[in-house]
Amino acid sequence: MDKGNVNARDGVLAHLEMLEVQAQGAAMKQQEKDLQEEKLTRLKARVMELRLQRDELQAKVNLQEKKQLEKEGTASDPAQASHKTVLQWKIKNLQAMLQVFYLTGISGKLTRHGVCFYISTAYEGTYLDSYYLDLLTKSEVQIYHHSVPHFIPLEQIAKQYLQTDIRRFLSVLSDHLNAYVGRRYQADQLQEHFSDQIKGTLWRNSLCNLLVFNYDMPSKSKTFPFHVRLVYGNLCHSLPTEVTISCTPDAPASLTETATAHTHLFRSMPLHKAFHSLSSAGETLDGTP
Amino acid sequence: MDSDICQVYEDEIQSLKEEIKLLSKKYEDSQQESTYFSDKEILMSVKSLQRELQGESEGHESAADLQAQLESLETDLSFLMKLTGIQFTGLSKKTLERTGNKTVRKYRLSGSCCSLSFQLEFQLLEMQNKGNVSAAITDLSITMEPRGNSDLDNFVSSSEKCGSLLTFFRSLSSYAEWYEHRRCTFLHFKEKYPDIVSLPEGLLGDYILLRNPKASGFELMIVWKIHINEKGKTTPVLDLLTKVPKQVLDQKMAAIENAPTRFRSMLLVVGIEEAIENLVNIFVSER
Repeated sequence: MDKGNVNARDGVLAHLEMLEVQAQGAAMKQQEKDLQEEKLTRLKARVMELRLQRDELQAKVNLQEKKQLEKEGTASDPAQASHKTVLQWKIKNLQAMLQVFYLTGISGKLTRHGVCFYISTAYEGTYLDSYYLDLLTKSEVQIYHHSVPHFIPLEQIAKQYLQTDIRRFLSVLSDHLNAYVGRRYQADQLQEHFSDQIKGTLWRNSLCNLLVFNYDMPSKSKTFPFHVRLVYGNLCHSLPTEVTISCTPDAPASLTETATAHTHLFRSMPLHKAFHSLSSAGETLDGTP
Repeated sequence: MDSDICQVYEDEIQSLKEEIKLLSKKYEDSQQESTYFSDKEILMSVKSLQRELQGESEGHESAADLQAQLESLETDLSFLMKLTGIQFTGLSKKTLERTGNKTVRKYRLSGSCCSLSFQLEFQLLEMQNKGNVSAAITDLSITMEPRGNSDLDNFVSSSEKCGSLLTFFRSLSSYAEWYEHRRCTFLHFKEKYPDIVSLPEGLLGDYILLRNPKASGFELMIVWKIHINEKGKTTPVLDLLTKVPKQVLDQKMAAIENAPTRFRSMLLVVGIEEAIENLVNIFVSER
């Protein structure tokens, strides 16, 4: 009986405790729900606000388009434009012109202690890396910071021209950088578009003036009988000065002649274009009975 | 369930923000592209802003900022033009296409490099990719004045074909540098030896004449052409032509016939200026 009483008492307490926990839980849930709802309302309001903003902007753009269609020439409306608007327009215009210098390969801006140049590079119409060169121009011109890769003979070029002829200095450096980037681009293109004709990856040094790889004619045996070594002796050029093609010992003798023909092709044409022309030549050969 | 709804709203907010960014960029670009203010209008605005600045000492920071910004941009631009020799006189842009990370713009650009003027049209495709911007030129068309230099025409059409705008500018710059160098050299000799040196085609022509002021009929013509190959490599080519009266020719046949060859080898050894100086001295010593 006693025992039962104790149990019953315990049971009541436990029950009460349980109720309390439940109530707490419910309160928390309610709180969470409130928070959630609050968040939802906030989000809804934000969405509405943004939608409105978008619609207004869209209307502005539409109006602008309509206006431009109405008066097809472009004329300013000086009566309406404030002096500030005019200046802001001019500033943007100047900024755009400075940006165009990026396309010319050499751009820059004056700094407090000298001048910072940007040398951009391109292969044909594709712009590639650009490098900066921060110069101090006190009594003597000094290179303060730069992002030119270490394997470009910057120091040597600087020694030759930096103090005497800055234009020449930039032009020579630009030739080096463009040639390097051009060689790298060709190797990348080859790897990307003709990987099935190349055994593994082609080997190149950091300056990309030495490339070595084994290759095969398109859709052939996949034995990769040609071994080629390209040396770019002129660091300001992106065509090789030395092309050596050898055939694997077990290759048929007729291939030696093909290799000689390829030598000429590689010397006179960018690498990926040479492979392109090999492929198209291969196709026409296959096509004729 | 609720958090799903929240996610839906959050996604919409994100996409609305993107859309707004794109639209406002489009609006700004179009506003910039469709407006034009003349230099006169700009000057007037600068002046009247300056007046406003003088009148009141406070509350015009933004106007002062604008002016400072304008000045620094103008300094940068004139510095670059002087350095590269490339002068831009006109630029217009039109945005043809704009999506999230891709923009295509049509450019019209005119300018000059020494005495050569150019007009370019091209499309610039810019792709934004994780903070990197890649750019590519297509549909490049180049018009140069004056025309008729077949070398330059070949170079221009090969640049157009490849879209190699950068090479075009780099080569034009070095071509113009030789042009300028030739002009300076001709001027130098004309000023130093006015009675011996003459420039029938002016300073921009490609030859000078050396005449003996006493013995008429004896002339040396130094032709200095500037060649540019298809890839844009510039090389100066100098040559010597002689015009000699018959009686002199009979006497000194060998010496005169050899003169052009000697001149060419002298160029390699001592350089252009020195070689011309040596030729002029033939006449100076005879004087």
